Amino acid sequence: MAALCRGRHRWKKTNCLYVPTRNLTGKYDYDLVVIGGGSGGLACSKEAQFGQKVAVLDYVDPTVKGTKWGLGGTCVNVGCIPKKLIHQAALFGTALKDAKKYGWQISEPVCHDWATMMEGVQNHVRSLNWGHRVQLQDKKVKYLNFKGSLVDEHTVKGLTKAGKETILTAKNIVIVTGGRPKYPTNIPGAVEHGITSDDMFWLKKSPGKTLVVGASYVALECAGFLTGIGLDTTVMVRSIALRGFDQQMAGLVTDYMETYGTKFAWKCVPKRVDKLSSGALQVTWTDTQTGGEHQDTYDSVLWAVGRAPETKALGLDKLGVKLNQETGKIVLATDESTSVPNIYALGDIGEGRPELTPTAIKAGKLLARRLAGQSAELMNYDNVPTTVFTPLEYGCVGLSEEEAEKRHGKDNIEVYHAFYKPLEFTVAERDASQCYIKVVCKRFGDQTILGLHFTGPNAGEVMQGFAMGFQCGATYSHLSQTVGIHPTCAEEVVKVNITKHSGLDATVTGC
Amino acid sequence: MLCRVCRRLPAPAVTLPSFLVMAVFTQLTRMRPWRWFICRKQFLSSFGRHGSIRRNMASDRAASQATRFDFLVIGGGSGGLAGARRASELGAATAVIESHKLGGTCVNVGCVPKKVMWNAAVHAEYLHDHSDYGFDTGNVRFSWETLKAKRDAYVSHLNRIYRNNLDKAKIQTIQGHARFTNDPEPTVEVDGRKYTAPHILIATGGLPSVLSDAEIPGANLGITSDGFFELETLPKRTVIVGAGYIAVEMAGILSTLGSKTSLIIRQTGVLRNFDSLISANCTKELQNTGIDLWKNSQVKSVCKSEKGLEVTIVTKDPEKKNDEEKTSTIQEVDCLLWAIGRQPNISGLNIGAMGVDTDERGHIIVDEFQNTSRPGIYAVGDVCGKALLTPVAIAAGRKLAHRLFEGKKDSKLDYSCIPTVVFSHPPIGTVGLTEEEAIKSRGKENVKIYKTSFTPMYHAITSRKSQCIMKLVCVGKEEKVVGLHMQGLGCDEMLQGFSVAIKMGATKADFDKTIAIHPTSSEEFVTMR
Repeated sequence: MAALCRGRHRWKKTNCLYVPTRNLTGKYDYDLVVIGGGSGGLACSKEAQFGQKVAVLDYVDPTVKGTKWGLGGTCVNVGCIPKKLIHQAALFGTALKDAKKYGWQISEPVCHDWATMMEGVQNHVRSLNWGHRVQLQDKKVKYLNFKGSLVDEHTVKGLTKAGKETILTAKNIVIVTGGRPKYPTNIPGAVEHGITSDDMFWLKKSPGKTLVVGASYVALECAGFLTGIGLDTTVMVRSIALRGFDQQMAGLVTDYMETYGTKFAWKCVPKRVDKLSSGALQVTWTDTQTGGEHQDTYDSVLWAVGRAPETKALGLDKLGVKLNQETGKIVLATDESTSVPNIYALGDIGEGRPELTPTAIKAGKLLARRLAGQSAELMNYDNVPTTVFTPLEYGCVGLSEEEAEKRHGKDNIEVYHAFYKPLEFTVAERDASQCYIKVVCKRFGDQTILGLHFTGPNAGEVMQGFAMGFQCGATYSHLSQTVGIHPTCAEEVVKVNITKHSGLDATVTGC
Repeated sequence: MLCRVCRRLPAPAVTLPSFLVMAVFTQLTRMRPWRWFICRKQFLSSFGRHGSIRRNMASDRAASQATRFDFLVIGGGSGGLAGARRASELGAATAVIESHKLGGTCVNVGCVPKKVMWNAAVHAEYLHDHSDYGFDTGNVRFSWETLKAKRDAYVSHLNRIYRNNLDKAKIQTIQGHARFTNDPEPTVEVDGRKYTAPHILIATGGLPSVLSDAEIPGANLGITSDGFFELETLPKRTVIVGAGYIAVEMAGILSTLGSKTSLIIRQTGVLRNFDSLISANCTKELQNTGIDLWKNSQVKSVCKSEKGLEVTIVTKDPEKKNDEEKTSTIQEVDCLLWAIGRQPNISGLNIGAMGVDTDERGHIIVDEFQNTSRPGIYAVGDVCGKALLTPVAIAAGRKLAHRLFEGKKDSKLDYSCIPTVVFSHPPIGTVGLTEEEAIKSRGKENVKIYKTSFTPMYHAITSRKSQCIMKLVCVGKEEKVVGLHMQGLGCDEMLQGFSVAIKMGATKADFDKTIAIHPTSSEEFVTMR
């Protein structure tokens, strides 16, 4: 019965194999083996609680610098969680300056102690590692600290740190090994002397004067928080910042960072990194516009030049699991199935999937339910909101203005926008030139919203509700009919009324 | 409609000050040709009338000289200004009468300075947490004087912006108290001058309620929220009376900034018209943050001594019938603040004589289109006593302007699903029905509640902790979300987007379909089970 309930899409794909495997339940050690204990893997294994036998394999290969961590994957250990906490610390750097304007007399100079902050951050991360272990236990999911690889479509080989091999068989296998930061291997000294975000969140000592290479959200977030806690930080950008995001918004984010002290080396590419006898790192780079060569010394060089999927050690090629040649990611169907029956994948390792924790979690849960025959619901990868936790936070959902123009034509979209001043900036005498809202709508008909963009304090908290409105198909009039909440930043979103077409000044004045 | 607009042009232009002549001219030049034609007819014929006016001058000079506008707004607060500016944009000759500073309650003694104070208090909380985040801030002192100077400067800046906005929109600002006259056509008098218009909007707002010395001896030794914004120093010892959101906000701000604060409430919880979860949690949070809460208590008398005020309070738990009333005194109080509610600001308006109906508390009764019982007179905002919120007044004022001057007959504000935030510590956000209201209107069996509570990640590494609580009130089989209530860090900025979705008719399934933004607190709403 349950089998019949599953989506037709599944039947089409695995019709011939599906029925026999179902009959063979009991032949395998596990109903489900999940390789990778990150956000998606943990969600999938914990959700698979329909009388099934489940195991999750997690293993962290240390970084070049030897950094390693516990259960929970990128998000918990070297991503979202430590990043947001340090971002919060950095916001305090600005808040301290604001506080003086608000009447707080603080004796100068205020020092920031990296070790104190990291102790707090790491303790929290360890408590989450432990929490995940406990949850797995509660849900009777077998946790194995093995490095998993595929032997065949029902068999996984687990390797312990000591090199001991264990063979596990499973009816279904889910690969959720995520990704790791890349090093630019063609730059001499890059690997020996540089670090990545995987190391950043476990540094015992302040990184000091830092060069961040790259302009992805990871690069900008790291540079932002390093500046915020008072470190001399430079971002080296080869071409553009926040590729894939709305470029006007990206410009505002980097402008704000520059205003608040982050240095940018635009259109520059690093050439080599040398360690001087003093221990400082000398970086040589080329300005691609002038062709000139420049040098400076740093205490740390952070490579944030992209992430690579963790597919190499999985033995996918042997089984013929189809990968995207360019990205190395696994090609997936809408139901997260790979080209090999019984083998599924999700999260950062999936080709074309957003590299975001919430999508991995949701996809993992839905997959577990489908595999257990509890539901046929597929993951919807549209309308995914996200927030970049740069010093000026940027939240968005839907299309960028460029993408909307491309899909609908410049004349068929209407962009409502506003430059607003958060009330918290006024008394603090802070410049709010980059606090901006942009609502991209269809120009005609009911003006359905195609994309919504917000830079300002608490952008993540602001955006979630609007993302839901967006998911429900909100139009411009849905926004304008909603009564504002005064005085907040979020109210400026429902108050937008100046269009780009009109050419009028979009600065908000008064209440 | 159009003819009427034109007829209201200041007819006896020759007797008017030059700016009004200019106004007529601008008005005429701004008009479309066909309107201009009708107006010219009107204008020429008015010279004929002008003669007759002259003749009557001796008998009724003042009435005949009433300056005419298309739209006359009494009250330069949020609702009045918004209505006036929109009407002016739509071509109506508009004037605003204001007795005090432009901007009304919100700008001068409400939302804006309140939130500035709240922000200052949030910094105090941050300062507690700084060391946990690695900052060594050493000795920190707070200067109320610095803050007040900055706040006042900002408010004055806003006053000027409002003035400029009116001037730019060619709206005349009339300074003074308005009083309806006994003229047959609704007319108001300000400082001996008369003004009239076919459409008069009352947007005079409200005032903090006060108690007389007859009700409570020494009551007038206390201040209200208006007085709070005049305080020149941080009170050392504060007593606040009231359980509404203003009492809660004031108590939070003063206590967080370092004043030893007692809050006197008549029953056992604050915010009793909010969802019970919010009411209970907010009451708990007030106590957690060090506010001395006096439940089942009332102020009996206040007297002044050398060391400050002595506030005598009686406490009696109604549950314990046999208990005696307990009388206590709080000594050395340097700030007693009454936050016992607000009342409509209608004194001196003489609206009774106009046949404008009011309710038993004096609020002007309006229909859904903001019409009062007297044709040609409208009211928006706090003076109507419904949803006392700036954005509500603004929206209602604008909708009315569109109805009156753009011919949009159905233009009115939908008062359902109005989101509101209380800037408590931590802030509260709420929209739609409370659980209790939903059960009452839909029956317990049709109501499903989803709840969660957690410690926001911000507090993961701080020694100071506060919870975030969230509740969804759903009704019917489709689990339509009719209410959303929360208290916690960031709830002030979370609510707006959700209120859009709830107004759109979102169901629990829509919440579930929405992808989370990680790591935020608001994502808990879309991952609730």
